[in-house]
Amino acid sequence: MAVTLHLPRPPDLSSSSSTDSSSFNRSVNRSVRVAEIVRRKTEAKDSLVAALKYFAEVEAGTPVQGNDELERNLVSVERVAYSKGLSPEAISVMLEFAMSLRMGTSPCVRVLKCLLPTTVVPHQAVVRAVVWLCVGKLPISTQVVFIKWVLTVFDMIDAKDHLRAIYGFLFSFVTEENLCPYICHLLYLLTRKESVRLFRVRKLLELQSKLGKQPFLLHLLSLYKVFCPELVTLSLPSRMRAGFRNYNGPWKTALIAIQKRNTGQVSSDLPLALETMEKAGSRKRKLGHMDLPALTPVVQIQTQTSYNKAVVPLAHINSFVKLLENLHLIELPAQMGSLLGSSLALQYLDCVQDESAFLRLNFWLGHALHEEFLFCGHGGASHSTDEVVKFLERLLSSQHFLQEGFSSTEAFLYKFLNVWDGSLLRPQILGLLSSIPVVPSSCIGRLLFEPLMQLFLTSTLFFKCGLIDSLNGMLVKWLTWHSVYAREDGLDISLNSHTSMNMSLSGFMHSVMELVQFVGRLASMGLQLEGGHSLLLSFVLDFYDTVCDMFRKYGLPLLVMPPVGVFYPALFATDSVSVDRLAQIMYRYKINLTSAKKQEKQTEQAFHISRQTYLEFNRYLVFMVNCLWNSKVFQPGNAVELSEELLLRSRVPQYWASFDLIHHPAFLGHAVDFHHKCWPEKREVDLNSIKPSKVWGWYLEYLFTQGFDGLKQFIQSNISWRPSSTSGAKTTDLEKEQTPKMVKVYGVKVSQRTSLPRAIS
Amino acid sequence: MERQSSGVLVQRRSRQSYRSYVGSHLGFTPGFTQRRLTTSRVAAARGRRGARAPGGRGAAEASPAQLALLAREWQLSYVTPLYRFRHDQLRSYARQLGAFLAAETRRGEAAEAGLQDGLKVSITLVAGMAQTEEDPDAVFIQMHSKRQFAAPDDAPRLAWSGWLACVGGDADYLRSLPPDFVCLPLLGASGAEGLTALVKAWFRRTFDCCFGPLEINSVNLQWLAALWTDCHAQTSIQQLKLVWSLPVEPPLQVTYTVHPQDAWELWKSVRQPGERGEEEVGEEDGSIAIEEVARFIKGLQSHFYRHFRVELSAEQLTQVSTALGAAKHSGRLKISNSSYMITTLTLLTECALLKMPI
Repeated sequence: MAVTLHLPRPPDLSSSSSTDSSSFNRSVNRSVRVAEIVRRKTEAKDSLVAALKYFAEVEAGTPVQGNDELERNLVSVERVAYSKGLSPEAISVMLEFAMSLRMGTSPCVRVLKCLLPTTVVPHQAVVRAVVWLCVGKLPISTQVVFIKWVLTVFDMIDAKDHLRAIYGFLFSFVTEENLCPYICHLLYLLTRKESVRLFRVRKLLELQSKLGKQPFLLHLLSLYKVFCPELVTLSLPSRMRAGFRNYNGPWKTALIAIQKRNTGQVSSDLPLALETMEKAGSRKRKLGHMDLPALTPVVQIQTQTSYNKAVVPLAHINSFVKLLENLHLIELPAQMGSLLGSSLALQYLDCVQDESAFLRLNFWLGHALHEEFLFCGHGGASHSTDEVVKFLERLLSSQHFLQEGFSSTEAFLYKFLNVWDGSLLRPQILGLLSSIPVVPSSCIGRLLFEPLMQLFLTSTLFFKCGLIDSLNGMLVKWLTWHSVYAREDGLDISLNSHTSMNMSLSGFMHSVMELVQFVGRLASMGLQLEGGHSLLLSFVLDFYDTVCDMFRKYGLPLLVMPPVGVFYPALFATDSVSVDRLAQIMYRYKINLTSAKKQEKQTEQAFHISRQTYLEFNRYLVFMVNCLWNSKVFQPGNAVELSEELLLRSRVPQYWASFDLIHHPAFLGHAVDFHHKCWPEKREVDLNSIKPSKVWGWYLEYLFTQGFDGLKQFIQSNISWRPSSTSGAKTTDLEKEQTPKMVKVYGVKVSQRTSLPRAIS
Repeated sequence: MERQSSGVLVQRRSRQSYRSYVGSHLGFTPGFTQRRLTTSRVAAARGRRGARAPGGRGAAEASPAQLALLAREWQLSYVTPLYRFRHDQLRSYARQLGAFLAAETRRGEAAEAGLQDGLKVSITLVAGMAQTEEDPDAVFIQMHSKRQFAAPDDAPRLAWSGWLACVGGDADYLRSLPPDFVCLPLLGASGAEGLTALVKAWFRRTFDCCFGPLEINSVNLQWLAALWTDCHAQTSIQQLKLVWSLPVEPPLQVTYTVHPQDAWELWKSVRQPGERGEEEVGEEDGSIAIEEVARFIKGLQSHFYRHFRVELSAEQLTQVSTALGAAKHSGRLKISNSSYMITTLTLLTECALLKMPI
């Protein structure tokens, strides 16, 4: 091995001192005291240069005893070392001096102790020192000090590849009993896959039989096992201390002090300890299918063939940077299930294209879920809920991270929904449900809707809300999937990034349609069963928030109107929030429909939004305007018709106005409040006094300031109204007093048969 | 709260058992429906078997490796497909399994792979078990331990043995797996439970597969009862013993022992005339239909009802035993005679495949 000795280059040192002197010149004007300090510093520099020169050139065999020159030079080196640390060159010189034993062993340890690097340790110096170590003249205690020093400054060595090149030399020191722990630690830091060899394994095993279960040997062996599991078989005791002991030695505190002085910050503590092992010793393995397997590398059976590619086991990757560097070399672990356990591994899973890998993961996951929830009948006590919850939460967060559901989860859910009681682990199961990928419309009913319908109808309000919410999440995921993965031609989308199964756009639209209609049915029935409960209504409106924007937000040429069972309960809801949200949703529908219409005219596309949807929208719109604005709620021709006789028999005065913006139960409170504010002195509340055009305008303004943005958008986009204008006002027979409101409803233009007039006045 | 949750569990279980019954045996499982059928497959397997070895049902036709499967009681498990299992690496697997067992028993001490001092593991192929081209070859694992103070010529003691097999597995399912996977869905293990757990752990780690218990439910036990009775003409079944368990507190058992000749007469009488006509033509090529099994069991049950007024059809069949073999609901199986061994394993393979998560 040829190692060239790098001697310090005097020109470097002198140049640095010359810059110092120039700075000295500049500081002449400053106070004398400062100048003095600078002068001393320069002197120290000069004396260091002289000292290094001395140590580099001192003859072998120079006596130590009574050598004042040595003492003086050593002191000056120490002074600099402890205050600022030594430059790489100085480290080289001093290390060479100490290890070569040119002046015997006595100054050796003292020199080693002051080897505190400022920036880096040159690897040549370390390699050369190891060469001296091999010469074998150093006393053992000094050797230990040296290795400890290398361990301490390991992260500051500038290039470790050269150290790896002499792995074999370092390995030979393991037989030295006193050195062994430290050498093992050093080897642990240096080991790469190629350095794991059978003869080394044998040597370590031999040592183990001699020394017993020493943690340092076990750690090194376990690392060997990570790289070459086919060579080492080892199961670590569950309660083994994690990591090597931290040999701080005399350097650690001094190093930290120097770093602090030089840069003002301390680099983070050297992470020498192994990651903590996750083995829970206390908990005995029970059934075990809810435990994640450990991240272990594959045992390579066929050694030479097909194994020329250098691969990195995933278990050995502990930072994102390393992951990125080795992305093309990473070898999947022996058990794919272990990937769910670490966030780094999940990052990698996202890039895995191997179908077999996903199949393995799915087999494991499906097995765990089936054993826990479906096959648990055979007397075996189920796991503690805690454990199951943790498992499911992890599964959920993994699916969330990957933004797709696993197929085994899907298959499991189809079976589990048939036996689920709707309360066991409800949040988790509903979470899993929402990440089911697009189901073909041919089987969606049998697989999903039938069991869900049963559960929905027989369960509590909270389950109903949860289910609607979960289906909303499912719809959002489907739509997002479509908008991201839809092919350029817009006709085919790939169902899942890991399978080649494709789905045509029409197939996808069918599925979405089925889902939306199904939720519509559920919502109608649910609202009826729960008496239009506001909480449920809120979740239902959440769902239609998604539905009404399918065209604009997700580019899907499909819009489905809410069924009457949802629309009317929302419109006649007693809370103003629901009515406001309905108005908002109708506004969004209008925007989507008009832009769809526009696009339809411009481009000849294969898919159109059906005429029926436009008609339905207009019917709702007309009714809503008639009801809220025109006070003509039961007018013949509207969707809700009641015979006049019946209405009169109800003895509700002005029944036609009972759902306008003033009398609507959701807004009545606001109207009264407004009345108080307008006429604080009036004791009797006459809501009809709000009707006049001017006051009506104020009332609207008042409502808008109450945060009814949906209502505002709805009114502004659908009704053109000028409060001052009274011309063109028309009284109807039913209205006793004139409502000076110019009302104009813009429907989306549809075929000639539409019943919607362009303007109602 | 406590009561509520336990109520939930009970409900869940009862619904589950109903589902698994319906799902697996009437060929209707929501989610995956294709590869489910019971009657014709067994019949077909039998048919093939008959065609392959006409006239012979005796032990003579079984290979020595197959004979090793006889006369032991096996605890059955199902196994998900093995990833990168290769039949040409069995020796190296044996070495690794040995080293793994050694390392696990001496927890905390590393061992060199391939070095065996405790148990001697051997993994071999079992020829002649595969029924179709898709079936991978069965694998037999044995572990012999040397006694500490044994004489040098003492035969090592068999500490554990087990086998992995796929007999007449559903071809569609097997074909649907990528080539990296080998499906051996049925594991029979005999020996210390600790060793079974270790072997399973090693398989899990090496081939990324999962194990689960495989119960034999009432319907399959009825099938076995019919199958074994059908053999009576060739090999005496000595007696047909059926055990039912009654869901009462404390649990009661009904042990129902039938004279072999009576069982045989009853079985003959329930065979469908149409079937029998075919059978007379093909002699050995008989097949058994699920209706025949149902009628056979119904006959036994109604006989019992006439005498004791206990409706056995409402209870659960937990055990069937004859001289040819015995099977328990818990998944314990003993095959004493090579007659119908293949058919029995075909049936069990099917049960195991039904347990596959995907």
